[in-house]
Amino acid sequence: MAVYRRGYQRYEGGLTSHLERLMVMPRFSWARMVEQKFVLILLVVSMFWPLLCATFVYLANHSELWQGFDTGFKKFLAINGKFFSVFMKVQSGYALILASVAGPGLIAPDLSNNALPLYFSRPLTRGDYILSRMIVLLGLLSLVTIVPGMLLFGMQAGIAGGDWFWNNWYLGAAIFFGFALYIVTVSLVAMTCSAYVKWRVVAGALVLAFFFLLAGASEMVNSVFRVEWASVFNVGYAMNTVWAGMLDLAIPDEKPGVLECAVFIGALGAGLLALLARKLRAVEVVK
Amino acid sequence: MSPVIEVDSLRVNLGRREILKGISCRLGESGAGKAIGLLGPNGAGKSTLIQTLLGFHKPSAGRARILGFDCHAQAREVKARIGYMPENDSFIGNMTAVAFLRLMAEISGLPRAAALEKAHEVLFHVGLGESRYRQIGTYSLGMKQMAKLAQAIVHGPELVILDEPTNGLDPAARQRMLQLIKEMKEQHGMNVLLCSHLLTDVELVCDEVVILKEGSIVHQADLEAERKSNRRFVQLDVAGDDRGLAAALQEIGAEGVSEAPGEWRIVLPASVEIGSLWRLAARERLQVRKLTHRKDTLEEIFLKAVGHIRQTPGGAPAAEVPAHGRL
Repeated sequence: MAVYRRGYQRYEGGLTSHLERLMVMPRFSWARMVEQKFVLILLVVSMFWPLLCATFVYLANHSELWQGFDTGFKKFLAINGKFFSVFMKVQSGYALILASVAGPGLIAPDLSNNALPLYFSRPLTRGDYILSRMIVLLGLLSLVTIVPGMLLFGMQAGIAGGDWFWNNWYLGAAIFFGFALYIVTVSLVAMTCSAYVKWRVVAGALVLAFFFLLAGASEMVNSVFRVEWASVFNVGYAMNTVWAGMLDLAIPDEKPGVLECAVFIGALGAGLLALLARKLRAVEVVK
Repeated sequence: MSPVIEVDSLRVNLGRREILKGISCRLGESGAGKAIGLLGPNGAGKSTLIQTLLGFHKPSAGRARILGFDCHAQAREVKARIGYMPENDSFIGNMTAVAFLRLMAEISGLPRAAALEKAHEVLFHVGLGESRYRQIGTYSLGMKQMAKLAQAIVHGPELVILDEPTNGLDPAARQRMLQLIKEMKEQHGMNVLLCSHLLTDVELVCDEVVILKEGSIVHQADLEAERKSNRRFVQLDVAGDDRGLAAALQEIGAEGVSEAPGEWRIVLPASVEIGSLWRLAARERLQVRKLTHRKDTLEEIFLKAVGHIRQTPGGAPAAEVPAHGRL
């Protein structure tokens, strides 16, 4: 019978699992996100660099093409930690821009439309809400970070063979965990900005400003006090240092080390999560 | 039968202020499809009580249970069984009504196909069938209210909490909303907790009523029993010496209280006709200035409970009304 003729009947069938419910919001958000042309354009543009790197990997593994070149050039063509470090730095830039475009659309509309009481009056906790919103960004950002990174690593391992893989497996782990740490941090920044600033454009600008302002402030402290430790507050530097540690690259002695940078990133993440949880309440309580 | 809502010595603090001051009550009957009215002046704690039942606030003492589940400790079980229509605008503006309801239904646990089906079904039910593919942000106030009701019942909850559902509705839309609420309890067996400042809405729809004042329950009444008693409330204003009127009213089986000199509130049993009041006034040599038939018993109850009148005829004086909900 047609729905409009049937009349309302209470639903009495089976219910889905908690995990399925958790994935409902990401599914709806992704569907709406791909409707944004700018997001799609950014996604396409962010694939150019991985394609270029893939070409580089292909050429680097065909030494017969470079027989006439000197050893310096051949060294340049080596696929090692430095190569993946450059790849990660460039892709992280795309990920940051993507997060600043897509992130503010996740929470700000819910706050400006007062939709949180509707979510939280259903079997969905604040933690579930944050997680489901974060899944949206993690999924999107992993498309431009982890996925191409692992494909690139897989391609290199496939062409270079088993020996290369066994000697360099840690590079794959570094790409995966390094990018994971980065996109979690960027997602938290984007979501927190989105929660505190209701205007999407301003929230997007704030995401970018957060990284640049911290970088500027840390450099200023370094210059004024003639120190190096303030570099740890530069999220970009801290992340690159952690990646360098994972990729087994050299880190300047005078600058903060991997441990300090990892601790800062962890503390930053915890702080952002606390700020987010504080803001995301079903009702505002005026104390 | 177990109660739908059970509140036991519930205290809720927001910051340093104590909003709910140890209230206790048992409301509704599980599976009976009853409507409970929640009344009270502004700042009485109605919204805080609703929000505590929804698990938004943690009680500082006591407990609240819905359908046997603790609202705080078993929030997920509670929320799976309730629907909530907030007072203020609450929706996702740039979503169509169908998509919005489908999202809400899926979050409540309905499988995808069932959620889509129910979204369409409930939108036709509330009268938004023709505009279900419009973005909710473009809806009129009345349509938004209906969309809010639709999202509250799309998953077929056992208890629906409605916070001021008739706010901003024109008379026709208000009637439609009240009719839908009646149908929810009578035809679909849902329990309804209706918070409204419109006494007529509560009286038309509800079977029980709880009146809050300054964070305490000052009255709880069974409106169904009141209706069955078939009593009529009358306001009589007279000029002259009315000292013997109370006794005279008792002679004909009616009861009355004088609120001010010459102003009487009278309750007439079904057997006593209004004409007998005219004869009584003539006998007592009183000049009748005003004789109003009052249908809304709830207003009487409410005004007494919040202290605007001292006593309801045929009832206990306000001071004797048990406070803190132990009724």
